[in-house]
Amino acid sequence: VGGRGGTDIISTVEFNHTGELLATGDKGGRVVIFQREPESKNTPHSQGEYDVYSTFQSHEPEFDYLKSLEIEEKINKIKWLPQQNAAHSLLSTNDKTIKLWKITERDKRPEGYNLKDEEGKLKDLSTVTSLQVPVLKPMDLMVEVSPRRVFANGHTYHINSISVNSDCETYMSADDLRINLWHLAITDRSFNIVDIKPANMEDLTEVITASEFHPHHCNLFVYSSSKGSLRLCDMRAAALCDKHSKLFEEPEDPSNRSFFSEIISSVSDVKFSHSGRYMLTRDYLTVKVWDLNMEARPIETYQVHDYLRSKLCSLYENDCIFDKFECAWNGSDSVIMTGAYNNFFRMFDRNTKRDVTLEASRESSKPRAVLKPRRVCAGGKRRRDDISVDSLDFTKKILHTAWHPAENIIAIAATNNLYIFQDKVSSEMH
Amino acid sequence: MEWASEPGEEGPKPGLNPPLRAAREGAPGRMEFKLEAHRIVSISLGKIYNSRVQRGGIKLHKNLLVSLVLRSARQVYLSDPCPGLYLAGPSGTPMALPQLPGEPAAGPAAGWGEPAPPAVPAAWQETQPHPERSAVPDAQRAVDAEPAAPGIDAGDAVLGGQAAAGPAWRLMEGPREAAAGGPGNPAGASEVFPEVARAASHHCGRPPGGEDQPGALGATPRGDCCCAKEEAPAPPPIGPRKRGAAGAGGVGGPAGCPAPSSTPLKKPRRDLEEPSSGAAAEEEEEMETGNVANLISIFGSSFSGLLRKSPGGGREEADGEENGPEAAEPGQICCDKPVLRDMNPWSTAIVAF
Repeated sequence: VGGRGGTDIISTVEFNHTGELLATGDKGGRVVIFQREPESKNTPHSQGEYDVYSTFQSHEPEFDYLKSLEIEEKINKIKWLPQQNAAHSLLSTNDKTIKLWKITERDKRPEGYNLKDEEGKLKDLSTVTSLQVPVLKPMDLMVEVSPRRVFANGHTYHINSISVNSDCETYMSADDLRINLWHLAITDRSFNIVDIKPANMEDLTEVITASEFHPHHCNLFVYSSSKGSLRLCDMRAAALCDKHSKLFEEPEDPSNRSFFSEIISSVSDVKFSHSGRYMLTRDYLTVKVWDLNMEARPIETYQVHDYLRSKLCSLYENDCIFDKFECAWNGSDSVIMTGAYNNFFRMFDRNTKRDVTLEASRESSKPRAVLKPRRVCAGGKRRRDDISVDSLDFTKKILHTAWHPAENIIAIAATNNLYIFQDKVSSEMH
Repeated sequence: MEWASEPGEEGPKPGLNPPLRAAREGAPGRMEFKLEAHRIVSISLGKIYNSRVQRGGIKLHKNLLVSLVLRSARQVYLSDPCPGLYLAGPSGTPMALPQLPGEPAAGPAAGWGEPAPPAVPAAWQETQPHPERSAVPDAQRAVDAEPAAPGIDAGDAVLGGQAAAGPAWRLMEGPREAAAGGPGNPAGASEVFPEVARAASHHCGRPPGGEDQPGALGATPRGDCCCAKEEAPAPPPIGPRKRGAAGAGGVGGPAGCPAPSSTPLKKPRRDLEEPSSGAAAEEEEEMETGNVANLISIFGSSFSGLLRKSPGGGREEADGEENGPEAAEPGQICCDKPVLRDMNPWSTAIVAF
């Protein structure tokens, strides 16, 4: 489905807490929700496929007349709320405004009204001889989406993350310089809990790049910075959490210094592990696993595409060095995944220390086809199917990936295509 | 673990495949490295300029990163004290870069961000008193490199000299800012301008390898950074590049460099009126990235003007598409000034920043 000017480029991907639903947001402000079909004995081969469940326009382009600024409708992040009743709810945000959407199903409708006929026209009262109670009859499933809350005017700078608290009552939104805490039911005010804006903007040296609540401790959250550091903050300590409880920072390797050292150390994504014990960060060339108990350095570092280290100048020139890749844990926190260029994505097994490079492409993705591991050759011995670094397609980047919370199902956004891969060999986590 | 695909995809679009230049990566040689820095500065400026017109407003994060790169590249570029690289002789061609004794070994790791070798710094010692870091004195210091008429706002800006040209830019460019401000900067015109320039210079306060060698500061225009005040042995900053460069004549400056006393460039500006839009900026919190827009709207236009008039001294990359949008930028008056044609436009632009 082509769009005008790339408005269908996927900008975020997120499974809900059970993995039954998968939401994607795109550059045109649309949200598409996929639902996993329940496995049925009738069609054993189509078990667990994701089909489109609902599509709606979440955000529209806006114009801030006061500042003469256009506000993009691109969906930056989607986060699902934990399900509390039959309805599903999610938060979606663009640069400035967060919206709470409620998704409900209607698969029955009342029939047998006394005063109206089937088309809704009023009946002639003289024809009504007896009263009946309307009954609910099944109908074709209709998915209805409605905006329940609009959280606007909370941010001066561009929102880069949202995160729902484990208390299921509050959530936070972060822009370049500030983090706000909202109550899900209150839209006309929010609390500012982090503010790193210097009194004099000339003194600005770093910005907030991502943030997330701890999965279990509702008072803890982490935010990452453009300088490569992570700050863990405790909301019980103070109302304004400018002082971190813990600062996670790795000293820079002086032998790797270049013009672009600062850019490539900027953290583009941070994710707590499901256990809550670790954090995963992504910078331009690596993914790192941090232990909450050790601030001095990460416990694990994985090279995503180190062969790009000598190409940083060109990547700066074509703006690729500013690409913000996301990262993801699997359900058991044993495998981490992140995207790269040429529609490649990488997985690292933390236990076996093995890694694999896979490609999301139409050719390699016939239904039920098994993905073949790929290899990038940066000089030296070259095998037959290797791709050389210079023939990588840097316009094909996988920035957004998501892993099913329990099973080995992954969603990969490759520009305007969504690929869903499943590990058929063993569907349980290992 | 084997991964299998599932149906449910949408149609792909063919992608572009931008060429990846590998030729210049890891460039050896000091000259090569300086040219690289040169190129990076121009690319960075183009990015800042283009960010002004992109949808969604100026992205603070990206522009901060670009300004850091700009600062680093500028440091490298200006760390070589030889004036030949940025002063043209009468013929208008750039002079060769003489090799100084005791120069650090070539290569990014050695040269980047480090102070100049000790042989050079003595020549850089300026006896200029370090003015307080405020707008007007900075303007005075920064403006006097331009020999042409006062009307050349853009030209002055380009040859302004230091990162302290930030406030100088604002003050000189007062009337033009309103025209060139463009979107994203309705009210905060005044103070926004120096912010990026200062931010770019300020970040460099702590380069690796130590910065407190005497005279090292002379090689890199850090003296005007406010952070220089915080460090005890901060050497005095040098004034405009040309004066300092000429002062280094003792270490092999090329013939034809004007001596400091004879330079007709000093034209201090006094009492330039500060636009009083600072108050307006406080009324409602702006995104405060309008400074970037301003910097580039002024700098970009003059920059591209210089590039087009360059007698082939510039590089091929200079004629990239980044000049396209600047072509229509109003206020390009610098390109018509004959004196500017004789200068190496790259050098002066870099120096100015």
